[in-house]
Amino acid sequence: MDKMTEEQYRAISNMLRKRSLWMLHYCTGCGAMELPPTMTSRYDMERFGIVPYVTPRQADILLVTGYVNIKTLRRIVTVYEQMLDPKYVIGFGSCPINGGVYWDSYSVIKQLDKYIPVDLYIAGCMPRPEAVISSFRHLMDLIDKGQANGYRRYKENYEYYEKNQRKVLG
Amino acid sequence: MTGIVDKVKQVDGAAVTVQRDNRIFVDVSKDKLTGALYSMKLLGFNQLSIMSAVDRIEDGQFEIFYVLYNYKEKVNGVVRTRISRDKAEIETVEKIYTPAHTYERELTEMFGIKVLGNSDSGKPFILENWKGQPPMRKDFDSVGYVNSHYEFRHSAEEETEGKDE
Repeated sequence: MDKMTEEQYRAISNMLRKRSLWMLHYCTGCGAMELPPTMTSRYDMERFGIVPYVTPRQADILLVTGYVNIKTLRRIVTVYEQMLDPKYVIGFGSCPINGGVYWDSYSVIKQLDKYIPVDLYIAGCMPRPEAVISSFRHLMDLIDKGQANGYRRYKENYEYYEKNQRKVLG
Repeated sequence: MTGIVDKVKQVDGAAVTVQRDNRIFVDVSKDKLTGALYSMKLLGFNQLSIMSAVDRIEDGQFEIFYVLYNYKEKVNGVVRTRISRDKAEIETVEKIYTPAHTYERELTEMFGIKVLGNSDSGKPFILENWKGQPPMRKDFDSVGYVNSHYEFRHSAEEETEGKDE
């Protein structure tokens, strides 16, 4: 058998990765409420191979469900750095996108992607389980095409992220 | 109900207002606060539901309030006191009501009120590494703080508008 090129290897591993995503749901805000129906028999995300998981070291997806304040951001960055590559981040709802209803709050950050790389945002307040499932399918497509490379961006632009983190975390 | 009101009126230095059927307000001066809380506990107000502060910036004062509950009489008792805004200091009441320990830490962090006798007062609690003015004071400029510390995401329309100008 001929040697596999790196491109072929990556294509196969991406194909396998997208079928077995383990999700760490970091339940910060109200978005956590939409996940029980998504996980359980009503919408049943396990049919796509997505399983909720409890530890960051075994998880692939970090789901940030809702507003992120400074105290939470510190934990999110720790959890994100504990996760092993490849890892993907989904920002859930309008609060991680632009602050949402907390736009004038002194403790809520306004853009999550300035502090950790976000592969995908789900808009809405709150997104319904259908939207969550649809975004997982979209993430699978991105992984298949090799476009969900937030973890590589984090390594390449670490100085940028670290500067922003230090600015708010002190 | 009437029995407990009469008893509360006996508390040293207390100005009692009966707000509703099951709600008694007890205003005391700062010096008699600890004694009043102790007397209230002896009267059966066993639970400290919450304590916090109100920033009465128009009077230059903080109003500290302790919401207590009496299970036997089913009555809420609210003990209130006023302290100066410039020299914001109170004595701890954790010896009387243990849960006050956590509430007092919050008070220090959110309002900048110093709590004497509380060993953890001043340690970082909710706001980690907070510098500057405590955020729950009324003269704290929330929007100004946001503008100087965070960047807003602008919509695509706003960005094109900016380019036209």
